Amino acid sequence: MRGISKSFGSEPVLADVSLAVEHHETVSVLGRSGSGKTTLLKIVAGLETADRGELRLDGRRIDAVPPQTRGVVYLYQEPLLFPHLDVWENVAFGLRLRGVGGEDLNRRVREMIASLELEDHARKRPHQLSGGQRQRVSFGRALIIQPALLLLDEPFGNLDAETRTGMQALFKRVAAAYRITSLFVTHDLKEAILMGDRFAHLKAGRLRIFGDRATFAADPEIGVMNEVHFWESLVVRKVPS
Amino acid sequence: MAKKAAVALVVSLCGLPLAVLAVLSFAGAWPFPDVVPSHWTASRWLDVLTGRGGLAASFGVSVLISASVALLSTVLGFVTSKHVAYHPRRRLLLFLAYVPFALSPVILGVCLLYVAIQAGLSGTVAGVILAQTIFAYGFAIVLFQGLWSPRMRAFEDLVRTLGGSTWQLYARVLVPLAQEMLLLCFFQTFLISWFQYGLTVLVGGGQVKTLTLKVYDYVGEANVFYAALASCLLIFPPALLLWANKRFLFKAV
Amino acid sequence: MRSRSGTLGLAAFFAVAVLPIGASLLYALLYSVGLAGLLAEGFNGRAWLAVLGGGEIWWSLILSVWVAAAVVAAGTALGLALALGFRTDRDNALDCGVLGYALYLPLALPGAVAAFFVFQMLTGGGFVARVLLRLGLLSDPSRFVPLVTDRWAVGIILAHTLLAAPFLALLFARLYESERVDELAALSRSLGASRRQSLWRVEVPILLHAAGTNLALLFIVILGSYEIPLLLGRQAPQMLSVLTMRKFALFDLRQKPEAFVVALIYTGLVMALIAGLFRRGRVDG
Repeated sequence: MRGISKSFGSEPVLADVSLAVEHHETVSVLGRSGSGKTTLLKIVAGLETADRGELRLDGRRIDAVPPQTRGVVYLYQEPLLFPHLDVWENVAFGLRLRGVGGEDLNRRVREMIASLELEDHARKRPHQLSGGQRQRVSFGRALIIQPALLLLDEPFGNLDAETRTGMQALFKRVAAAYRITSLFVTHDLKEAILMGDRFAHLKAGRLRIFGDRATFAADPEIGVMNEVHFWESLVVRKVPS
Repeated sequence: MAKKAAVALVVSLCGLPLAVLAVLSFAGAWPFPDVVPSHWTASRWLDVLTGRGGLAASFGVSVLISASVALLSTVLGFVTSKHVAYHPRRRLLLFLAYVPFALSPVILGVCLLYVAIQAGLSGTVAGVILAQTIFAYGFAIVLFQGLWSPRMRAFEDLVRTLGGSTWQLYARVLVPLAQEMLLLCFFQTFLISWFQYGLTVLVGGGQVKTLTLKVYDYVGEANVFYAALASCLLIFPPALLLWANKRFLFKAV
Repeated sequence: MRSRSGTLGLAAFFAVAVLPIGASLLYALLYSVGLAGLLAEGFNGRAWLAVLGGGEIWWSLILSVWVAAAVVAAGTALGLALALGFRTDRDNALDCGVLGYALYLPLALPGAVAAFFVFQMLTGGGFVARVLLRLGLLSDPSRFVPLVTDRWAVGIILAHTLLAAPFLALLFARLYESERVDELAALSRSLGASRRQSLWRVEVPILLHAAGTNLALLFIVILGSYEIPLLLGRQAPQMLSVLTMRKFALFDLRQKPEAFVVALIYTGLVMALIAGLFRRGRVDG
């Protein structure tokens, strides 16, 4: 994407945002709430239109392509499972939209459910699942249609710390297995560093890109050093006692 | 004990209209000052059941009109209420939706009659259905506002990014999710139409004889027994529906 | 995609809900000033002057407001009594048992049937007079005071209350749950309120406030009601809808513009009421 700008009324939300995501890589975008990150993702998914700028996917302009044919899936913080469908049918949803059926559908859904470690829950309804399980179903539902780009908007924001750690590991593993290209937005510094191959920081509608983990971590705005100092000070104080 | 008596009192007061009307409909003669009819007859009911006299036909017309109104306003209301709910000027649009609902049916009918005459629909069943639909549609719009939450919108976005067409969005997600509300709306708009009198008289021009019109016709002829019979026919379908589906009445009032 | 279907949806909304009503109100306005209709005599204010200058519409308005206010008051009182009186500490009696079914019965009554029923009960030769005679509480049938077509519109109010009270009782019972009134009442008791104080200072005000919009809409519905006053009301004054219909249906075509004047005045009044509800944010906007 290049030169994306967007304003709501007179309030600029995104200013001249440019970013390239390579095949099979995950770019972490660190940003607080209100930094414009949700708007950015919605523009990429085609759910909002940008005032200026262009979007390309594999070199092809996609600004005018409607969301349903764009091949970009946007996942919210909330898993948003269809309450009237069970786990199996939630995962199969995108394939059914495309008219996939029979043994092909069964095989792909079975594989996906297995790789998400949900075999025992295939016939459960969403309200019978835990938060982490729901989020896994939500991933499966998106991954099974092999989107060209997956957009993740604070996907683990509603989970407790322990589940969150497990989900991060699982996502890394599944993303690698399915060779997923994704944009991962989070306000959590540690999560951004863990999940990304490359990194960016969105602040007040402006995006800064970092080539690697070291420069990202070294930047004073990101705040890694503050964290380090905080933990060090605790340790230093603890030693004499 | 006092509570038991109070319950008994309330129950009998609630049941009294049905009981009195049912008795009247079977009464052969009920001279003053008797407290019960002097003799009984089932002939009027037999006429209805065998289709003789005008009442069976009226019942059929009433069912046809109410079912059409309910179907039209529910489907139209469901599809268009979404755009009202997500519109930036939502409050203004909702205010407009309340206008037909709040106008007295008679006032609305007096005004709508001109439009119906111009369209060649006055005095026809189709005209009555359309007029009642305008009345019930505002209600459907208001009722469905409860459905279109940010969460519903998020579902919609999700289905689109997963590759769903508009048709698939409705058929596979929105309609199943809204099932309860659709039934509730159908049921309520059916009742609105079933109970309607003023609009039907005006737009139907007295030619479209629904059951409510029959009640007044018979009262006008001082034919209380037939008026009671028509009343029973009016009460029993909604009473049955209400008993079977209490939950449909109060979900979103 | 979204914007195109959105435009279509809004177009349908305007075509069904707004256009016919806008057109008919415009027609009513033109008719009332002599610019439309069979006897269109050219622009004049005769019908408006006749209606506003005569006493009939004002009495009609007073009667309609009296009936609507009386029904809302009586229905609210009865509804609260039913919803609160039959509550036990643990559950809501209106939801279960025989009461739970009985209260739904009057809701199946159309206005026309309620009017006919009240008529059958309360005329001079009606059911109530017969029972009183039989019980010896009435010595002479002619001494029974019929409550239909009476001066204070008691028959109309009774018929409407028969329909409104169960509805409000069920509404209050439901609000009692959704507004968590039981918890708030328990809280007030723990703060030292007596049972009576808790009832009048906590439970009733919360329920009335939560039901405000519904009560206002009920008022409007009764204000414009037709079937019930048609059968149970007197010749004069008549409630607004009945008056409109009479002027509209008269053979004297010169009265027709006056029917539209009454209709427009009523419409203006109700729309002002609804706009007030919207402004106060009572209607969910």
